[in-house]
Amino acid sequence: KPTDSGLGIDEEVSVQKRARVPNVKLDEDRLLSDAGIPRLRKRARNLKLKGKGHEFSDASRLLTFYQLWLDDLFPKAKFLDALAMVEKAGHKKRLVVARNEWINEGKPKHSTADDD
Amino acid sequence: MEQPDAAEDIVHPEVRAHINSLVSALGGVSADDDGQYQLGDDALEVLRDIKRWIRFYDEKTNRMDVARCLHQANLIEGDLLPILALWPENASDSKFKARIALASIEIMVPLTWPMEYDKERTTLNHYRHMPVLELAQVAYKRAIINFDGARILHSAVRTALPSMAIPIGDRTARDQGIIKLVLFFLRNMAMITPPPNVKYDGDESQISRSATIDAFSYQDIFLVLLTLASNMGEDFRTEDTTVMEIIYHLVKRVNVDHLFMNEQQLNKAKASELSDLMSKETSMLQSYSRKGSTRHNRFGAMIWVKREDGKMSSVSGPDALADSVTKNQKMDSTKSYRPPRRARKEDKDEKDLGPPAKLNARANNQLRSFVEDFLDSAFNPLFQHVRKTIDREAPYVMQYHRRQFFYLVSWFLEAERARRKSNNQSKKPNGEDVSSFNLVAAVLTQEMFITLTKSLHEAFEMKDWNELTAVMRCFTQILLTVQEMTESKSEDDQEIAENVLSRLFYEEATHDAIATIIRNYKTQNFDYLDAATELVHHFLRILEAYSKQNVDMQVRSRKRTRKKKKEANQAAGTEDNAEENDESGNDEEAAERISKERKFDFQKFALRFTPQGVVDAYVAFTKFYRELNDSQLKRAHRFFYRLAFRQEMSVMLFRVDIVHLMLNMIKGPEPLEKSSGMYKDWEELAKQILRKCVKKIEQRPELIVEMLFSKLQSTAFFLEYGYEKQTSEKK
Repeated sequence: KPTDSGLGIDEEVSVQKRARVPNVKLDEDRLLSDAGIPRLRKRARNLKLKGKGHEFSDASRLLTFYQLWLDDLFPKAKFLDALAMVEKAGHKKRLVVARNEWINEGKPKHSTADDD
Repeated sequence: MEQPDAAEDIVHPEVRAHINSLVSALGGVSADDDGQYQLGDDALEVLRDIKRWIRFYDEKTNRMDVARCLHQANLIEGDLLPILALWPENASDSKFKARIALASIEIMVPLTWPMEYDKERTTLNHYRHMPVLELAQVAYKRAIINFDGARILHSAVRTALPSMAIPIGDRTARDQGIIKLVLFFLRNMAMITPPPNVKYDGDESQISRSATIDAFSYQDIFLVLLTLASNMGEDFRTEDTTVMEIIYHLVKRVNVDHLFMNEQQLNKAKASELSDLMSKETSMLQSYSRKGSTRHNRFGAMIWVKREDGKMSSVSGPDALADSVTKNQKMDSTKSYRPPRRARKEDKDEKDLGPPAKLNARANNQLRSFVEDFLDSAFNPLFQHVRKTIDREAPYVMQYHRRQFFYLVSWFLEAERARRKSNNQSKKPNGEDVSSFNLVAAVLTQEMFITLTKSLHEAFEMKDWNELTAVMRCFTQILLTVQEMTESKSEDDQEIAENVLSRLFYEEATHDAIATIIRNYKTQNFDYLDAATELVHHFLRILEAYSKQNVDMQVRSRKRTRKKKKEANQAAGTEDNAEENDESGNDEEAAERISKERKFDFQKFALRFTPQGVVDAYVAFTKFYRELNDSQLKRAHRFFYRLAFRQEMSVMLFRVDIVHLMLNMIKGPEPLEKSSGMYKDWEELAKQILRKCVKKIEQRPELIVEMLFSKLQSTAFFLEYGYEKQTSEKK
């Protein structure tokens, strides 16, 4: 620095706008990533529901399960808002394909053999 | 009066000077003791001048300066009303006074004309003057209907009586104009209400609906309306829409059930309403106090929530300790992010219907007797005529007339049913020849159905949701009326009803339209959603009942038609009875075949109401469960029940937000009131659906993922049954 006399006011300040950090979105990329639906499926194995006679407690357990998953995946949105976003992303082509695959995994074997 | 400074005055100073000099030339209260109003020497000319000012300055140049000056000069209350009072009943034949009266009305009509914010035509002047003038109109209305010196509305009608007395063929254009003018005056009086966004600081009871109805009754306006309406098509033709408008503004949002209660019942109903509301409030407060903390607000408890993957999150407040549901809710409610939403489109017609009308007992009785007389004498001629006018697209029909027409038809049909019910309850001797269905026959004709379906399609295509709401409500009421007809004692009524139903049953275009409307629900207002779900509910219900009609009922109806035919044949003198007799043996067989066919058809029809869009609409409707009444809750309940247990499509309901809704309705922080009649039913339904859901998850683990999304029909089918739908095979 040449001098200290100007207290730095003579220095040029860059006024160029920096690009904003893009908004984080709950889109199909995020859903298909490891933290997304794959993790949901993994966690679901540990989900224990009691069945008949415990309908309401089961339902609230189920909701808690989804809520915690969504909170990990996309912490900033509220539960119902995040659900709506996920639902919306579910119509995207990539996700539709992935959903079909997941369903086919559960189908009896012979039907998948037919597809091949 | 305080005059604003000329420099700051918002109207042109010369205009104000002109208007003020005109108003003072009109006349004044005499200085004598009696305080009679004295007309100025050239009063008639002055009135005409004022009229010219309004027409050629205000209307031509799209300003509202004159109207504002006239308001500030207190023209209506100070001059025009006393002038009209100078024209007593027994001086009707005075030509001069009649002309003065007419000239006064001619000024009052444009001054009370409803103002609309039409974006394309409003200028700076409108924004400057309209808020003041809207309040001014309310003041005009208050002055006119509460004027002590004379019955102003009645005087207005008297100016038109000579023209009305002339047969329609002999009326000149001027006569027609006078009748229209007076009708518009009445319309304006019925229509003016305080603007919705302003707090009216005067006495509300002087301009309320009750006061209006009271004035209309006391000044014999109802009789005029009845006369005009019952002679529609004979002595009056082009006045139909205006008469309809007046009635519309009198009865809109009036609760039909309350209308036909006597005073005791009404008091009882109001008392139970109050106790309902109070119990609702207590239960609401209870649910808050249960959640509320038991210690002071700085007690500062803090808890950790252990989560999977070794994560922790913290929640503060002792209430979070209580149970996991509150804890989760607290974690959720601290988030402040809101997803971007599109702003709601401004609805310019929304103020038209206004808030529900509350009538006092006196107005209630007056309106009831008017409604009864109207149904007895004027319903058919008026509405038949209006329907024809709308169908031929007469030049004087405005867009909103169609909406008003459908609204009124549905309102009066509901009123007629309420009346019949109250008559049955009080066991009145019903020895009349005319069945009460004949009184409303004009809207049950095939032509009406054509108009109705046409409007249904058109309003949907034009995205005119307000009109579509009215059409749907009208359709619902017609269906309900037809259904009551099938239970009537008269055979003719039964036959007509059956004809209508059979036509509806096979009319695929209507089915499609109704299914499309509910499936495509997006962001329309609650009223629309309410009307759409109501229509679907009754449509499904009535067609189901029709498809279930048992065999012997059809045999009976066949026998009936045969008998009719026979009688006709005998009257004509032909003899082909042999052929007839052959048929009678097959009656049972044929009837069985038909009833089977219908059952199949109904199944196919009901399938239209299973796609996700329909479910979403009903879910959106149920989300208002805190505000819904019992019949609305029942409607939603029946739909979900039908979907889950009769059509075996409960998979459509297995979505996280729907589960959330169901749970919250019963166990959430703001549940349905336990005292509400529908609570038990909903509890049972939610229980069954949730049980099914848990079972399905265990059966098919892939549902865990699919619960996040809307399902396609094929996916849903697979999840429900575990195999692919065979396209070739019919289920």
